[in-house]
Amino acid sequence: MVGQLAEYISALATQLVKSKVETYVVTYHDFLTGAVEDANGVKIVRVASPVHANIGVLTWILTLNQEVERAAANIYYQAAKQVDLINVYDWHFIPAAVTLKNALDVPFVYSVESLEDHRSPNSNTPYSMSIKSIEWLGFYEAKKVSVKSEWMRDEVVRIFNVPKEKVKVVSPTDSWIKDVLELYAGVAGGLGSR
Amino acid sequence: MKKKLSVMMFTWEFPPRVIGGISPHVFFLSKSLAQSGVKVYVVTCDFPGAPAHEVIDGVDVYRVDSYKNPAPDFATWVYLMNLNMQKEAAAIVNKLGAKIDVFHAHDWLVATAGIGLKHVFRKPLLVTMHSTEIGRRDGLHTNTEKMIHETEAWLTYEAWKVICCSDYMVSHVRWAFGLPEDKLVMIPNGVNINVYDKIEADLASFRAKFALPEEKIVLYVGRLVYEKGIHVLINTVPKVLGKVNAKFIIVGSGYMKEQLLNIVRSMSLEHKVLFVGFADDETLLRLQKCADVSVVPSLFEPFGIVALEAMAAKSPVVVSDTGGLSEIVKHDVTGFKAYPNNPESLAWGITKILLDENYRNYIRENAYRQVQEKYDWEKIALQTKAIYQAVLGEYSKSFWA
Repeated sequence: MVGQLAEYISALATQLVKSKVETYVVTYHDFLTGAVEDANGVKIVRVASPVHANIGVLTWILTLNQEVERAAANIYYQAAKQVDLINVYDWHFIPAAVTLKNALDVPFVYSVESLEDHRSPNSNTPYSMSIKSIEWLGFYEAKKVSVKSEWMRDEVVRIFNVPKEKVKVVSPTDSWIKDVLELYAGVAGGLGSR
Repeated sequence: MKKKLSVMMFTWEFPPRVIGGISPHVFFLSKSLAQSGVKVYVVTCDFPGAPAHEVIDGVDVYRVDSYKNPAPDFATWVYLMNLNMQKEAAAIVNKLGAKIDVFHAHDWLVATAGIGLKHVFRKPLLVTMHSTEIGRRDGLHTNTEKMIHETEAWLTYEAWKVICCSDYMVSHVRWAFGLPEDKLVMIPNGVNINVYDKIEADLASFRAKFALPEEKIVLYVGRLVYEKGIHVLINTVPKVLGKVNAKFIIVGSGYMKEQLLNIVRSMSLEHKVLFVGFADDETLLRLQKCADVSVVPSLFEPFGIVALEAMAAKSPVVVSDTGGLSEIVKHDVTGFKAYPNNPESLAWGITKILLDENYRNYIRENAYRQVQEKYDWEKIALQTKAIYQAVLGEYSKSFWA
């Protein structure tokens, strides 16, 4: 666990399984790699970057993305190509989501937890600019964007010129899972319809 | 009708973008493969003025925006460029109905694109290792070098077959990445002989721009970097001049240029050594035709295409006895092999060729014949096609098929 995202995804995946959505989580772990199914029925695949001597977060993330892509492709083929959508959290695995979308026609939702613009205010270092360009790619290629507050929606629209109707506010309230399923249905054209 | 075998190649350079030897290699290989009935798609980096898509002699060339993501350094740029290359190639393959039989990557510079698409489309990946980081740097000293080395190792691990251009590279790559023997294939690099046939016979006025009529021309073509051994050649200059009146013409640029110029100045031989810099194709081909001897003094050389080009231009060669050069040249038959990193030995070879006309002509004719027989792109394309077919045969029995 790095931030609060791990617990959020765990809770979301569990709720999705309860709502009869077959859910796979592809994530990172340095050594506990491989596929497992947890007690709640969530299938988890953990991967690590095959390159250890990285010169920065960017090269580490970009090489790790190939393993994420490999794991996701395996899920896609094992599920007889019946994957309705991908939900990618923050910029890290956008490269994998973008390739999978362009190759296999699986649409993706980009969920924004935070933005480089807020993490590193006024930074125009090549490092920050790289991350911003990956975020931009995510906004451009995603079918829908989900954020957790009205404020973040305005920020996404302000910074990246994303059309407001593309951004949906989904926050962990009483109607949380209903909102998530509604968002997914809009992206996949009705779950299970593919 | 049987479906044509189709391949998608990834390369970071393709004409008009020329940085090193991969660009001409992929250019001639793809064209020759197309002639032999293979459908070839090349995905490469963009270049000012070059179209995003064009068909060259049956080869579909796609150029992708390689500067879309700002990067803090060269190595990070490579991975970011791959992100974009992979995305664009994914869309192209998807549009073609995933009808690509094999992916073929050239060097680590396109590693992640090749690896990613292999898994996404579940098609076999082949790689040609033109060079290695551990060889270029004579060891792994920095994190960047280690990262590149690990990326190369990963790429060769993911590849169905690893193609190398010389027996030397086969054993070097096998050692560097601990690969099983049956994973490696040797297919030589090729050279296009026809380009030299088109050069006019009378080059006297062209030659006069570079050397006096009484001066013999000693030609070096290559980057001015340590691994190419250009400093060894510069050290031979006074030794050769003691016996023959010659002009040393140095084509290429690199970080050692100032250092080399200083050595030449300190010997007061500026009038005998001419640094031409980067030469365009027309000039280069003519210089190779004019050269009385071409010297390749490399300390590390995976293949040594420059020697082969000189042989095709009928210019006698003196090479250092190392790497791929050791295999291309047969001593005293198709060229002179000098001890590596040894100016005395190199000077001996250059002088012998320049002073002995019979020896010069004997070597010239033998070398030309060998180039025609062994390093012809048509034959190389057929060998490559056979490897594709063998891999597809194995693939057809796998659960991916």
